Amino acid sequence: MTTKMGFEHGQAGGIRIHVLPTRRFKTFAISLYAGSPLAEDTVTSTALTPFVLRRGTASYPETRAFRERLEQLYGAGFGFDVYKRGDHQIVHFRMDTINDSFVQSEESLLDSSFAFLGEALSSPVLENGAFRSSYVKTERDTVRKKLEAIVNDKIRYAAERCIEVMCSHEPYRLHPLGQRSDLDSITPESLYQSYRTWLNEAVFDLYVVGDTTLEEVQNLVQQHFKMDRAQVSDYTSSVVASAAREPQTVIEKLDINQGKLNLGLRSQITYRDDNYAAALMYNGILGGYPHSKLFINVREKASLAYYASSRYDGHKGIATIQSGIEIPNYDKAVDIIKKQLEDMANGVITDMEMSQTKAMIRNVVKEMQDSAFELIAYDFNRVISGKERPAEELLQQIEGISTEDVQHAAASFSLDTIYFLKGQKEE
Amino acid sequence: MERIQYDNLQETLYYEVLDNGLHVYVLPKPGFQKTYATFATKYGSVDNHFQVQNEEEVKVPDGIAHFLEHKMFEEPEGGDVFAKFASKGASANAFTSFDQTVYLFSATEHVLDNLETLIDFVQTPYFTDQNVDKEKGIIGQEINMYKDNPDWRLYFGLIEAMYKVHPVHIDIAGTVESIGTITKEDLYTCYNAFYHPSNMLLFVVGGVDAEQTIKMVRENQARKTYEPQGAIQRIFDQEPQEVAEQRRVNRLAVSLPKCLFGFKEKETGLAGEDQLRRDLTTKLMLDLLYGSSTELYQKLYDEDLITDNFSHEYSSAPQYAFSAAGGDTRDPDQLLSRIREEVDRLKESGFDASDFERAKKKKMGGYLRMLNSPENIAHEFTRYQFRGSNLFTVLPVYESILLEDVNRRLQEHVDWDQLSVSLVLSPE
Repeated sequence: MTTKMGFEHGQAGGIRIHVLPTRRFKTFAISLYAGSPLAEDTVTSTALTPFVLRRGTASYPETRAFRERLEQLYGAGFGFDVYKRGDHQIVHFRMDTINDSFVQSEESLLDSSFAFLGEALSSPVLENGAFRSSYVKTERDTVRKKLEAIVNDKIRYAAERCIEVMCSHEPYRLHPLGQRSDLDSITPESLYQSYRTWLNEAVFDLYVVGDTTLEEVQNLVQQHFKMDRAQVSDYTSSVVASAAREPQTVIEKLDINQGKLNLGLRSQITYRDDNYAAALMYNGILGGYPHSKLFINVREKASLAYYASSRYDGHKGIATIQSGIEIPNYDKAVDIIKKQLEDMANGVITDMEMSQTKAMIRNVVKEMQDSAFELIAYDFNRVISGKERPAEELLQQIEGISTEDVQHAAASFSLDTIYFLKGQKEE
Repeated sequence: MERIQYDNLQETLYYEVLDNGLHVYVLPKPGFQKTYATFATKYGSVDNHFQVQNEEEVKVPDGIAHFLEHKMFEEPEGGDVFAKFASKGASANAFTSFDQTVYLFSATEHVLDNLETLIDFVQTPYFTDQNVDKEKGIIGQEINMYKDNPDWRLYFGLIEAMYKVHPVHIDIAGTVESIGTITKEDLYTCYNAFYHPSNMLLFVVGGVDAEQTIKMVRENQARKTYEPQGAIQRIFDQEPQEVAEQRRVNRLAVSLPKCLFGFKEKETGLAGEDQLRRDLTTKLMLDLLYGSSTELYQKLYDEDLITDNFSHEYSSAPQYAFSAAGGDTRDPDQLLSRIREEVDRLKESGFDASDFERAKKKKMGGYLRMLNSPENIAHEFTRYQFRGSNLFTVLPVYESILLEDVNRRLQEHVDWDQLSVSLVLSPE
């Protein structure tokens, strides 16, 4: 099967495989997504798993040897990320390997990369039938430090606190790296058990963009991934739109110079919906770009902030607004932002704002074609939402959006939370 | 228009130096949707004291290059540059570093129109007392934002500890006080000195036709008059060889102490190929010292003295150069003493030949991967060019570096007398 984005789709070993054969890039881009429902009792062990997997495999049990192997592959990029997509926790492994034609390599770098990734995922170094205990101990500390370090970056901290208080009764409140309080009780044995379950039950999607074919990738997976999955699994859409409520205001203090103002909005519109394009336009006009209402009114006209923008997460149906302001300017900034939300709801939108935002979204969608990992990420939207919307179709839908459509979309966005982080000294 | 083919990279570069001195480069990327363009002036935060040939010597307030960057987006009659770009679907931005200011856009349509907008807005200064004043509030918030950022404070703390005189130790954005003194006259002075086409470089990469692009730029520039400009003399007072301070501490709420340390280079004044060679050799050397596959890294990680955010870098310009390494640590002093122990051992033994070969492969692969990104190509190419070297000749230089070169660099650069340490600790 081939979708309109040019990916060829197949499967091997219980893993879905998506390949885009192209010679446009100097590398093979490989992405492996493993998704599972975001849940309190598994979030921490799932997050910890890739940290332990990156320490060593059956063939390269020592971390130094594991990393030296990557360097032999001309410094192949290897990394992972753990994040949320809607109410799913995604573990995303990434490799980026030079196409052999640019170097004099004695081995096939694609084959070697799959051997490496397959082993990292499915043949970790074991002791007594569990993960190596020293690795589990060190990586538990690493995850703990990462969770504790969130507070160092005040912009990110405020953004995450806003989501936490907004979604306090939903799985989405959970941090993708899990909960500090869970870490101590995780043992090499318990983590290995949860890893085996994850390996069998998580949804796996493997992507390759580069000078290869679906068939070659299928063979490589058969050869190098020692997984015994009964069948291919799929995402079940679990996003339930929350009912609108009276907005809450939460103010917290920390030792900071600049106040961080974050607002959370709920929307009934998600990626699956036909009016998704209208929601994108809503966000674009409100705060997605430097020509948007927030930038113009909070920064350029009122001179209150350096950054003032909005983001829309279509997989969760949430939009957030963020700005950094002088602490005494809180009321002024909130008033200006609320005014922009009212204007959106009342359809106070110029033709210029419409056409500029359309042009900007068009640009973002087209630019994606030039980045292997962005092409992959876009196709993964289809996988996780169950909604196929090729880039061309999204572009057509954006073109067709009217001011009334945006106003209609605006009605589905309601302010839920105002979160303000201010200095210790302030009253 | 000249054409240079880089067969080993499968890239072709086109360039022309226009009559007014502007350097124009185009790197077509067949099959790419997007075009990315940067218009850069060799003018950054360190250029705060200068003299243009046949003109007065001037000293300007700290943070003015960055202030000027913000103000370039202002247009006569209240026009908005971002809106103009947005109408043609282009995403625009700008940034200021120690030694350059770069204006840029990326677009998938109306590429030549957008390119013209880029050139025209950067070549149309429009400063008024009122719009200069307005910007002070915005940049004040930008400065405050960085004050809350522990990594930025850590990095600048290190440079402040190393450099006493050279303006590299002054924050790129300046301070709320220094920008408070900036006037529109100051802005025009700097603009006229550094935004002459002969001090600028235009780089266009992506799905464009080289000939058409250069023709458009040539015609655009022919319509504008620029008097030939004499050489710009950048005046730097003599920086002592030794570091200003051994240790600098900043207080900010952090989950773990942050520790960044580095060596101030003794020899300055390198340029062109010599500088490129020293840069690449030093980067290789640092990777062999501190990289995540080294024995040192693994030991310190297992001893819980570093976290996986431990990283290293090398910064260099003709008048300053330094390495920096570090990250979060539970115990900065223990970390530093362990580093010293292990590094001294390596200074005795030298690097292992197979480690060296692998590190070289890694660097070459990293370079090739970088070339997938039009943004990186444009930024790096401009940076190299302003320093008199060429981004596309990096591979052969890497290939020619020998183990003994890296060992020599280790002895030269890692001199404990040249060490500075920057710490960010939670308030007592």
